[in-house]
Amino acid sequence: MIGFRKPIRAKTLGRGSQKSQGNIEGGALSSVSLKNLVLSPDLETNLRQIKTILDRCSDVVYREFVFAQNEEIRLALIYTDGLADKVQVSDQIMKALALEVAMAAPGQEITKARALEFIKQRGLCIHQIKETNKVEDIIDAILSGDTVLLVDGHATAIINGARGFETRSISDPEAEPTVRGSRESFIESLRVNTSLIRRKIKSPNLKIESMKLGEVTATDVAIAYIEGIANDKLVAEVKNRLGRIKVDAILESGYLEELIEDNPFSPFPTVNHTEKPDRVAAMLLEGRVAIVVDGTPFVLTVPNLFIEYLQAPEDYYERFIFATAVRVIRFLSMIISLVLPSLYIAVVSFHHEIFPTTLLLNVAAQREAVPFPVFIEVMIMEMTFEILREAGIRLPRPIGQAVSIVGALVIGEAAVRAGLVAAATVIVVAFTGIASFTFAYSASIAFRLLRFTLMVLSATLGLFGLVSGLAIIAIHLCTLRSFGVPYLSPLVPTIGADLKDVILRAPWWAMFSRPRLIARQEQIRLEQGLKPSPPETRPKGKG
Amino acid sequence: MLKKITVFILLVLLTGFLVGCWSREEITQIAIILGTGVDWTADGRIRLTVQIAKPGSFAGGAEGGGKGREPASWAVSAEGKSIEEAERYLAMRVPRDIYWGHCITLVIGEEMAKKGTRIVTSFFLRDREPRETMWVMVAKGEAKDVLETHSNLEKTSAQAAGLLERMKTGYSVQLREFAEMLASKGVQPVVTRVEVKEAGVTPGSEQEKKSPAHKQVEITGVGVFKEDKLIGWLDAEKTRGLMWLKGEPMEGVITVPSPGEPDKEVSILIRRGKTKIVPKYDGKSLRFDVKIDMEGDMVEQQSLEDLAKPEKIKFLESGMAEEIKRRCNLALKKAQKEYAVDIFGFGNAFHRKYKKEWRELKDRWDDVFRQAEVNITVAARVRVIGLSTKRADVPEK
Amino acid sequence: MLEQGKIDSKQAIMLMLSTILPTAILTVPAVTAKSARQDSWMSIMIATTVGLLIARLVVVLGLRFPGKTLFEYAEEILGKVPGKIVGLLYIWLFFLYIGSGVIREYGVFMVTAIMPDTPIIVFHIVGVAVVAYMVRNGLEVLSRFNQLTIPTTGLLAIVFILSTKDMKLARLLPVFDAGPLPIVKGSVAPAMWLGEIVTFAMIIPYLIRPREAHRVATLSILLCSFFLTMSILEALLIFGPNVTGHWIFPAFNAVRVVSIANFLERLESVIMVIFMLGGFVKLGVFYYAAVLGSAQWLGLKDYRPLVLPVGVILVALSIPLWGENIVEVLHFIGQVYAPFALIVLEVGIPLLLLIVSLTKGKGGESDA
Repeated sequence: MIGFRKPIRAKTLGRGSQKSQGNIEGGALSSVSLKNLVLSPDLETNLRQIKTILDRCSDVVYREFVFAQNEEIRLALIYTDGLADKVQVSDQIMKALALEVAMAAPGQEITKARALEFIKQRGLCIHQIKETNKVEDIIDAILSGDTVLLVDGHATAIINGARGFETRSISDPEAEPTVRGSRESFIESLRVNTSLIRRKIKSPNLKIESMKLGEVTATDVAIAYIEGIANDKLVAEVKNRLGRIKVDAILESGYLEELIEDNPFSPFPTVNHTEKPDRVAAMLLEGRVAIVVDGTPFVLTVPNLFIEYLQAPEDYYERFIFATAVRVIRFLSMIISLVLPSLYIAVVSFHHEIFPTTLLLNVAAQREAVPFPVFIEVMIMEMTFEILREAGIRLPRPIGQAVSIVGALVIGEAAVRAGLVAAATVIVVAFTGIASFTFAYSASIAFRLLRFTLMVLSATLGLFGLVSGLAIIAIHLCTLRSFGVPYLSPLVPTIGADLKDVILRAPWWAMFSRPRLIARQEQIRLEQGLKPSPPETRPKGKG
Repeated sequence: MLKKITVFILLVLLTGFLVGCWSREEITQIAIILGTGVDWTADGRIRLTVQIAKPGSFAGGAEGGGKGREPASWAVSAEGKSIEEAERYLAMRVPRDIYWGHCITLVIGEEMAKKGTRIVTSFFLRDREPRETMWVMVAKGEAKDVLETHSNLEKTSAQAAGLLERMKTGYSVQLREFAEMLASKGVQPVVTRVEVKEAGVTPGSEQEKKSPAHKQVEITGVGVFKEDKLIGWLDAEKTRGLMWLKGEPMEGVITVPSPGEPDKEVSILIRRGKTKIVPKYDGKSLRFDVKIDMEGDMVEQQSLEDLAKPEKIKFLESGMAEEIKRRCNLALKKAQKEYAVDIFGFGNAFHRKYKKEWRELKDRWDDVFRQAEVNITVAARVRVIGLSTKRADVPEK
Repeated sequence: MLEQGKIDSKQAIMLMLSTILPTAILTVPAVTAKSARQDSWMSIMIATTVGLLIARLVVVLGLRFPGKTLFEYAEEILGKVPGKIVGLLYIWLFFLYIGSGVIREYGVFMVTAIMPDTPIIVFHIVGVAVVAYMVRNGLEVLSRFNQLTIPTTGLLAIVFILSTKDMKLARLLPVFDAGPLPIVKGSVAPAMWLGEIVTFAMIIPYLIRPREAHRVATLSILLCSFFLTMSILEALLIFGPNVTGHWIFPAFNAVRVVSIANFLERLESVIMVIFMLGGFVKLGVFYYAAVLGSAQWLGLKDYRPLVLPVGVILVALSIPLWGENIVEVLHFIGQVYAPFALIVLEVGIPLLLLIVSLTKGKGGESDA
């Protein structure tokens, strides 16, 4: 989990902040007034207009030159330095227009009126071009990294898709490491991310719809789903919830998550996120909808069910017996991470009869010298653990080692030696801490919070308090829904066919159907009878 | 939703304020009682003795090593009119809350048992802390002496006594079984008898300096009760007969004369068995047919002959049956003629078969039982003779 | 309709199981074993028959008036005023009484067996607060929570298997020792508990498939009596009839005895957890029925405003209604309330309603 935040830090240095700077400082013209502006046929006027809007944006470059075949035709290129691919701009656009066009089509007389059409047809060696006459689009294109070509005498600009800004290369997923399975991770660029998904699912039914969110940041957001598998209502609901959003900035998918989740006060997240393309692909194939946000490697998926925290990508890549065994362990650690410290408190300070005699005497012997009640003791240890964990994330990498050594020494050895805590308490807290890392991180945050609440309850009312607390959590989980799907399904309400992928991970040849409540249509996943069996090799006749 | 959260937080806060009240007893604030004893003093009061664990000497690992030699328990007594009152007086002496939840043994002193054990059992059955699975014993002499011993192998003598009972080397009785026997008219209670005896030495350099040998608790038969009052004892030999008649547990060792050399013994370890009591009643005379099926392994022979022959085994089996019958009869005689109590549960067997007649007889059952005729038939079998057929240490003829 | 949620038949069976069992396992073995002794299991058989008849009665009534609860069709059958009176009787004497009784029983259990120094009212308030949260979220959440927690009942079966070591079948002999009268007397309490299936009348309208109501009710009763028999047998086989009748919570004592390999022992906390979770649901069902019933009785559009006041009433009633001390509680349950509720509320009124509706020809075509 260390280094979990790193990708986000990298992102804030990226394109997002530059762009917002540009818009805020040029903000004399608000987006509302930009809306109705159109280009005029006069190049000077257009340039002046754009320069006014992009006033004090030192990173925007204006390059004026003349057309090779007719020097009366003046051209202007506008792009943002660093976002546009300089090689493409100089070779494919400027060099082409200012020099090579004449060689390619010698002797042709190009009038001002034909210039635009000619440039479009023969002049530009760019894979993707677009025309517009709206100033708003032009500004947007410039700030997104495209290069805008203005032609004198025409009220239309050509937007060249020659983006070439620095992006991180695709690397290992840092927050979700796996032993087996794809090692790719999403990066901060939306296009790269959608391409990673598209590479996994080469189906025309994979739809990737895009929109822009954030009044100031104008962040690109893409909604991906597989038509025919995803529930239409779900897709409509996602679009609806996203459409309602009116905020100035979306810097990370976390912004969106909080704006679209079902129950904002619940400690449990109802929107999942992942940085693994294979995981997103699997989610899409189960009928979920993915929301890709530009500028972050974390892709949101909805609806999110509780059991997703118990499922790791490897479960599906390893053989099913092993996967099931591991899931059982993960499930147990989930329970342990939630209740172990409070159970310990309840037993040590209320229900001594639960311990076998010898164990009771052992624990009593350890606690003999400890000056605190067990609740305070566990609280101190838990807090120490949390502080160390947080420090481990925040610390610059090189000092991380030092902290973990000091932490281990302080917590483990010194505290016990000094008689501040009992060895049993250290075991309990350490075990709880370790157990909380076996399942999804976002759920473990919720469990960590609830753990403290349960500790207070069981210090007050013993097991009764603990069970009451657990009951409240259970009731809360029963009330939760994520985009209309009950959070605890398929456990409750029980959907028999879907239990194949909860604690038990059924073998792939038995995973006939998609989750029933998520994928309402096209539920059949595979043909029956795929169970492999050895070929008939028994020799006929005498053996 | 906001309301729900508020309510929840309020709830947590409210309960949070109450931390430190009520039933909370830190583990360091309790005195863990491992064994308890009740005596009837000469001046007619109840003396409660408890053996309290000293947690410090139980520590495992590095810290515990140094304190290993220190005794691990503390026996302390107080007197009162009732057990609870005695406990309150104890509380003035013991600086922690007295905690019964892990009490392993309940020892009843001889005088107390003669006075009546119902005075004792009420507290232990009614209070929520003492467990029904506690082992009940009756001490020859004072219960206090039993609790003041300490064990050489286990940390405390209470734990040692509990383990002795658990192994069922004698007739072991849990509190719940004792209560059941007390509540039934078809059986009279028997309770394990314990005594303090010298039990071996700890070899070592300092051994010479310590003059008296180590004293330890030992199981030496059972105490026989009429209703809740102790009226006599059965020694270890007769206890075995009692156990076989009661049908549990059957394990034990008997010796029978060797077929060819009757002055030498053969030991047989009884592995399992079954007892069936069939009452016959015609309105006047009462007869019980007791059938005992036994299965044992031959484990030792003093004679030099080859016992691995079918006819010799037959002989052994009949000797085994004879011996079992003899010992059952010993116990039966003692109970029937001397104490006149039905400690075997013949009454319950009778009740099961003759429920109408039982209603008339149940109040004078012990008299009826006294005159009853009991026929014991034993079928014994030897299955296993160990690792050798003939003795391995005798030369071939 | 006041309640939007719907539940399926499986959920309904589980819900009914939790409506009847939790307190039954806790209290009934003692009450029954006191009079029927080793023949208690026969008492349960008699009670099961009675329970099945009541279940039949309730479902027939419910199906004649599809989509309506007890309160609604009582008014339709008897007319406005008598119907309202019957409704009031159920709210007050059945749902609130049993609801507060459940709270009280758990409070008493906690105070006697687990935490003697804590004031009983704390357990009452915390318990009702937890359940209020559940009730407020409606029937769906109630049955989902139940579905989530009911597998713990399986632990009871495991405990039963673990304790077979200490059991002796001979303790059930001789059969039919005391004659038929004590057995019948012993069957009153379990019959009253199984008769709590009357609550099903509040749930029938919210079944996804109301046609399966008969099956649901019958299965629930059979399962309940199975578990009830198991818990009575467990206590009887371990302690024998002489001791069992004198425990207050025989099932609890029976669990304390379990000891496997010197390690798997002291399982009473496990039992406590099961009892508590079951108790939450049981209280939830009666609490919910009281709230929903009151809302229908008052003609409200939403039942939620009533959750808090009814909760306060439940806590307030739990002490005075059932007697000052445990002796009074046990006496009141066994001698006064159980026969009354059984005869009047569980058999009498539903039967009356059915007869009247049949003679007046009210109610839709029933397929029963």
